[in-house]
Amino acid sequence: MRRQAITAIIGVAVSLIAGLLILWIQGYPALESYSALFSYSLLSKFAIVSTLSKATPLILTGLSAAVAFGSNSVNLGQPGQFLIGAMAVAAFGIHVNLPAAAMIPLSIAAAMAAGALCAGIAAGLRRKFNMDEFITTLMLNFIADYFTLYLISGPMWDRTTYSPMTKMTNPSAWLPMWGGLSSALFVALTAFAVTLVLWNRSKLGYEWRVMGRNPVFSRVGGCRNDANFVMAMLLSGALAGLAGGLLVMGGMQHRFVKGMGAGYAWDGVMIAIVANSDMLPTGLYALFFAAIQTGAMGMEMETRVPSEFTLVLQAITVLFVVASRESAGVIMNRLAGAVRARRAERITIASEDGRNAPGN
Amino acid sequence: MHLAIEMLRSSVLAATPVLLAGLGGTYTYYANVFNIAMEGMMLIGAFMAVAGSYLCGSWLVGMVSGMVGGLLAAVVFAIFSVGLKTDEFVTGTALNMLALGGTTYSLRQLFHVKGAFMSPRIVAIPRWRIPLLDSVPVLGPIVSGHPFIVYVALAMAVFTEWHIFRTRFGLRLRAAGEDSRAVDSVGVSSDRIKAQAILASGVLCGLAGAYLSLGYVTLFAENMSNGRGWIALAVIILTRGRPLELLLMSLMFGFFDGLGLSLQGTAIPPQFTQMVPYIATIIALYVYSREKRPGNASSKKIPAKAE
Repeated sequence: MRRQAITAIIGVAVSLIAGLLILWIQGYPALESYSALFSYSLLSKFAIVSTLSKATPLILTGLSAAVAFGSNSVNLGQPGQFLIGAMAVAAFGIHVNLPAAAMIPLSIAAAMAAGALCAGIAAGLRRKFNMDEFITTLMLNFIADYFTLYLISGPMWDRTTYSPMTKMTNPSAWLPMWGGLSSALFVALTAFAVTLVLWNRSKLGYEWRVMGRNPVFSRVGGCRNDANFVMAMLLSGALAGLAGGLLVMGGMQHRFVKGMGAGYAWDGVMIAIVANSDMLPTGLYALFFAAIQTGAMGMEMETRVPSEFTLVLQAITVLFVVASRESAGVIMNRLAGAVRARRAERITIASEDGRNAPGN
Repeated sequence: MHLAIEMLRSSVLAATPVLLAGLGGTYTYYANVFNIAMEGMMLIGAFMAVAGSYLCGSWLVGMVSGMVGGLLAAVVFAIFSVGLKTDEFVTGTALNMLALGGTTYSLRQLFHVKGAFMSPRIVAIPRWRIPLLDSVPVLGPIVSGHPFIVYVALAMAVFTEWHIFRTRFGLRLRAAGEDSRAVDSVGVSSDRIKAQAILASGVLCGLAGAYLSLGYVTLFAENMSNGRGWIALAVIILTRGRPLELLLMSLMFGFFDGLGLSLQGTAIPPQFTQMVPYIATIIALYVYSREKRPGNASSKKIPAKAE
């Protein structure tokens, strides 16, 4: 655990320095850019609120990917599940009007069910026809993308607007705001806590973890891998769907807008990867990524560094954190091997001395 | 009749990037490197090609810089996955993100536009009319008059088949994929072979990208590879890495891509016609999974996590 924390810090530091160099080479005031980045993401109440609302979907998509990768179920369909979840909430919120006490839980359920369904298709195809979920989930992303685009530019288009989007949902489906902070964060944290308990404290979670480490071992040990795979995919899909749904329920727009949440889902995949599919680090990296993304807008205003720079910074972070983690293992093994070899050498020399000394 | 010819013609055009990227991925397939970075390599290639063509006013410079772009992405991939032994799935995903972010960022930095970059100064790759074939009634219009990378791609399919199955490099490549330690034990560095395979895939994916932005259309748009790298990966897995089968399969995907295009303007909403190639991929996967003998694991190339 401590070793992982050290390599994570080294990785983040190296990538921040690399980012600094990239800015510096391009002739931007690199240090000023960084200070703008962090003052706009961390150093005021408004900044922290923005970072936390940015983190809300990232926590969930990160968790979704972590559940999948950690249990050896390859779900790369988060972008599609995200969109379908958001669309389900939008459709439900437009056509149904109940008191908020019913509307909000039902919307959350709709988002999770829609995401789970989307992942469930891939899981079902794997179980029934042995079709690789790696490819099906990827292809379903494109299908979900075009499908929702069809809905918002056709049957569900709000004709009063110029760009494709649905109508606003009924206000009873809106999540309350707490001093600028949407209670969506609270829902996300609840989902995070439930998943954490499920993952670390339940029998199912244990079986998922064993399956993630070694599927053959878990099968030999009597786990029902096939059923567990489907469960993990459903949970993973539900979390991604919830991320999309919360973006409609919380936030400002309260509707499904074209290009909505672009990047949140893939960022979640990256977050799970840098966190090595561990649950708590996933939450922490989600906050880190959210801070970079929030600060980027401030950075663009202050120093005119394009906010797209964060996309580069994030990818570099992934590469360096993971590389430092994995090559740290290689280097440490090598060191341990060298130490052992030297000790072995010393023992051999000593024993040879011992053998030779008395006889001669 | 005219429509059929038009559709077959557009199949050839649409098949080319998948074929080129797929051939690149074939090298890494045999080296047992799980190369999901093809999407990113293509995207970088497409961007560099447009940048080269625009800045130097030459399609040749554009094409070469596209290939160099793919190569550079491959160098990064090789340094991390072979040199530093970072997980290939992780490296590939990060590289794809880097490509998407990097090209979007550079698009804004270099050309000060968001979304798409078009300009009359971008020189497209010339189209070749093949002298004798051109006058053949049906075949001529289908195969003649394409950007010349199309013909390069067709030749590459044959070359790759020969290169992988008939040469010493190919033998070593396949051996390195089967059992890298055995290759190392006879004094050939399996790491070097893997790196070479990655670089080869980078150059071919870069060429595929150059074709996308200078042949298929003449512009660069954000994320313009639009899943073709993924489809190429699916095709490699489906054909188990046989270059000539890959040629047929990518023509089939080109056909569905073209089918989607030609259905535009009909009563079917365009969003559904655009789904066609992705649905076709799922169906092809279904057919492949049916005919596959049980126990013949396809998941050999699936992320290390899945092992």
